[in-house]
Formats: sequence, structure tokens, C-alpha cells
Amino acid sequence: MSSKETWMRQIRAEIGVVAKADGSAMFEMGNTKVVAAVYGPREVQNRSQQLNANALVRCEYTMANFSTGDRMRKLKGDRRSTEISLVIRQTMEECILTNLMPRSQIDIFVQVVQADGGTLSACINAATLALANAGIPMRDIVTSCSAGYLNSTPLLDLNYIEDSAGGADVTLGIMPKLDKVTLLQMDAKLSLDTFENVMQLAIEGCKAVADYIREILLENTKQLQYRRGT
Amino acid sequence: MAFESRTNGFLHIVYSEMVGLSIGEKYFIQGGIAQDLRTDGRKRLSPRPIFVETGNISQSNGSARVRIGATEVIASVKAELGRPSALHPDKGKVSINVDCSPTAAPMFEGRGGEELSSELSVALQRCLLGGKSGSGAGIDLSSLAIVEGKICWDLYIEGLVVSSDGNLLDALGAAIKAALSNTGIPRVNVAAGASGDEQPEVDISDEEFLQFDTSKVPVIVTLTKVGRHYIVDATSEEESQMSLAVSISVNRQGNICGLTKRGGAGLDPSVILDMISVALSVSERLINTLDSQRAAAEAGKDEL
Repeated sequence: MSSKETWMRQIRAEIGVVAKADGSAMFEMGNTKVVAAVYGPREVQNRSQQLNANALVRCEYTMANFSTGDRMRKLKGDRRSTEISLVIRQTMEECILTNLMPRSQIDIFVQVVQADGGTLSACINAATLALANAGIPMRDIVTSCSAGYLNSTPLLDLNYIEDSAGGADVTLGIMPKLDKVTLLQMDAKLSLDTFENVMQLAIEGCKAVADYIREILLENTKQLQYRRGT
Repeated sequence: MAFESRTNGFLHIVYSEMVGLSIGEKYFIQGGIAQDLRTDGRKRLSPRPIFVETGNISQSNGSARVRIGATEVIASVKAELGRPSALHPDKGKVSINVDCSPTAAPMFEGRGGEELSSELSVALQRCLLGGKSGSGAGIDLSSLAIVEGKICWDLYIEGLVVSSDGNLLDALGAAIKAALSNTGIPRVNVAAGASGDEQPEVDISDEEFLQFDTSKVPVIVTLTKVGRHYIVDATSEEESQMSLAVSISVNRQGNICGLTKRGGAGLDPSVILDMISVALSVSERLINTLDSQRAAAEAGKDEL
């Protein structure tokens, strides 16, 4: 299938946008722009949460007031933000080798600058890049993409208008090398066959993002080598 | 201890906590400033280069992203129809709100950034919006009126601090000025013949936009005193060593639009006049830089 429904929006990423963070990245999927910053591994701030055998992974998702079409009243800690923070934390925790950094804390902060559908996917992709930039050991990168089903057609990478149209929205996160699904979310209903098609489409999208992310990381490493003079 | 911190202002606490400096490093910073050679090689009155990008938030009426060293801020301007206040029926309304993203520092997580955000918001309001009556505002509020007493434009200016390495107020001031110059207010056609208390019907054009006039909008220059000297455009390390800071907002005509002093240390009145003249020259260069970057950006867009 190479018709327009299976095209992703343009993706663009940049590493190291927050100089003071241990690792950071900016990820854009179409008009959705997200900045992720990683602080850690560092000393646990709240001793009662310290884990003796693993690193503690924490995550906060925030949306800027101006990120959506209607200006929103700032609700930090509202239910949607809390849920998305939890989802991102669980997804990234899976791929970080937390047993290598016991009694430490890794903070992942994700800030949505502009939201136009697929914010969760963009956040996960940005977090992956930021963790890699921070040099935190991971099993594999995690990439994410969304797909939907409108007018009897599977669509890849929905924007806000398509997402609000009432069809299904499947968000998928995979670890491409290990070929494992770490995140799967869907709302609305789909028949099993349709779901398989849509999920397959989302997996293709995730793999495309993974290729792009690897390119960015390779380019970044070459830059570092060049600056070291090797 | 808590009382001392209060008078020093919250910014001082923020930077002391964010930056862990050893005693040797502190002396190095203070000594360098005393000898007119700061840690990054700048002179006391040299600012870092500033990079401005406008129009990055397509959903807003105007937006800008400003980078000064490692400090990065985004400003967005949204215009919505509203009702003028009863005290000023011929003026629109502007509200300025700043948010510190946790990406800039882990201590801004949850509600940790609230105090700093409100301090920055209030300082920007004081510099840009003038007194309580709205007179002397850098932004011309009467240009936002549509139908006197009934309909006006409400401008919501939002600032977001993405990354912080000192001098947040100046960066936000520059970002807001750039975002306002990028702002297009849609043309409004008012249906004629509305009487008395009725709300007139308005038709907002999707195509015609009026560029907002920003010639009177001031920029903010902050002078930070470290030891016996003051510096322009402090990094967060330098700010952690400050005794006081004076932020002065100046417009293109060279008029002072606002002045804020933070920090408990005392300041000789003659020094304030000195600082103001430094701020005037620095602000002139800053305004020129902002204008030339905007002109270059627009020329680039025209070429496309």
C-alpha cells in the first residue's frame, strides 16, 4: 500500500535542545512539537521512594497553555496529564536497564509545545532520544506511532482533526530490534480483522520512526567524534 | 535563614539550588567579574548573542522563540473577542502569563515552578502594561477596541521557559516583543445598526490580518550586581552570586517604561542612574538586533 492514507506526517528531531539537562531532544510529527528533557541518573530526592535494586524512573507530562487550538486554563496535574505521565513512565521504564543504576533516580520531563494529534507518540519518541542523549543504558529504543480507521480506510499518523472525527485511534509503541510491543492503546471499536490491519500499519509507522531516530543518533555520534578529533 | 531568602527574592534561591558551586568556583566567578573578564570571556557589559525565530506556533496569532546562550523561551500571543471592562470601555485587555517548564529544571516539577512563574509574570506586566489605569502601557490598548463598551480584543500573552541559563526576564521580554510583532489581528467587520444594549454581530475575517504595531513595546535589560560591579546578561552561575538585580524596560524612543529591583542589598542612588544609562545603550543594541533578525526572517519568507 503506498497510497496517501499510509503516509506519515513529516518528522523532525533535534538532540540537545536543553543544554542544562543530562539529555534532551525535540521531536516534531507534523504540527505536533514536543520537548523532552532527562535528568539523571542522580540521587533520589525522596528517600522513601528509593529502590535498592533498581533506578527509580519518574515522568511528568505537561502541555503549554498555547499548545492547543483553544487556549486552555492551566491545569497542572489534571487527570489526562497524570494518565499520560504514567503511560510514558511505564513504557520507558521497560526499556531502561534500571538494574544497572540502583538507588538512583531518572527524571523524564516532557513538554508539549504544540499539539496536533499523536502527542503521546511524539512524547515517547522524544523521550527515547533524550534518554539516548543522556547516555542512559537501554535494552532497545522505543518508537511510537498512531493509526486510525476512518471511512473504511486505515490511516497512519492521525492529526487532531482526523482524531476527533470519531473513528478508532490506535497508539502503538514498539522496541524495533527486539520486535516487541510495549505500548498498545485504542479507543472506539474495531472488528478484529480491521484491528489487525490498523495495528500492522502502526507497526510500519513505528519502524519508519525507528529508522529516522537511528539516523539522528548516528549523526549525533559522528558530530561528537568529530569534536573529539578522532 | 528563611527571612533572608525572602528578601533576596525567589530567583536567587532558584539559582543557588540549581547550581552547585564550590567555594573556589564562586571566587573565580566573582574575581573574573571584578577584572572585567567573565567565565565565558565576555566583558561585564557584553550580552550573549540572541537568536530569534518567529511564527513557530502556527495555532497562535503570533509567536516567537528566543535563545540567549542556553536560555530558551517561547512566547505566544492569542487574540480572542471579549468585553471591555466598565472602567475602560474604549480599550482592549491584555494578560501576560509565564510558565516554567520542568524541562528547564527538575525543581519546576509539579507546582515547584509556580513562585518563579508568578514573579516573572508580574515583572513583565509591570514593564509592558503600565499602571492600573492602563496609561503608559507599552502596548496600545485602544488599538484593541472594536465596539466601544461592547466588544474588544483580549490578548493572551503566554510565555514558556524551556531551558534556563540566566537572564529569563530579558529573554521573555524579547520573545514577547518579537511575538507581538509577528501577531496578526484578524480584521473585524461590525454589523451596522446595533442599538443600545444589544451585542452587535461581528464577522471575523479569515484572510485579512492587521499587523500589530510594536514600535512602542519596550525591551527589558537586567543588570546584576556581583560583588562591587554589575554585569549585563548574567548566566545562572553568575546569578547565584548576585546581591541584587535591577531590571529596566526601555523602548525605542529611549524612554524608561518600568523598573524593578530585586534583592535585599542596598544600592547607592547615583549607581542607579549609572545603571540606567548602561541599560539605555544595551537596549538600543538589543532593539536593533531584534528588528534586524525579524527583517531577515521576513525577507527569507518572502524569498520562499
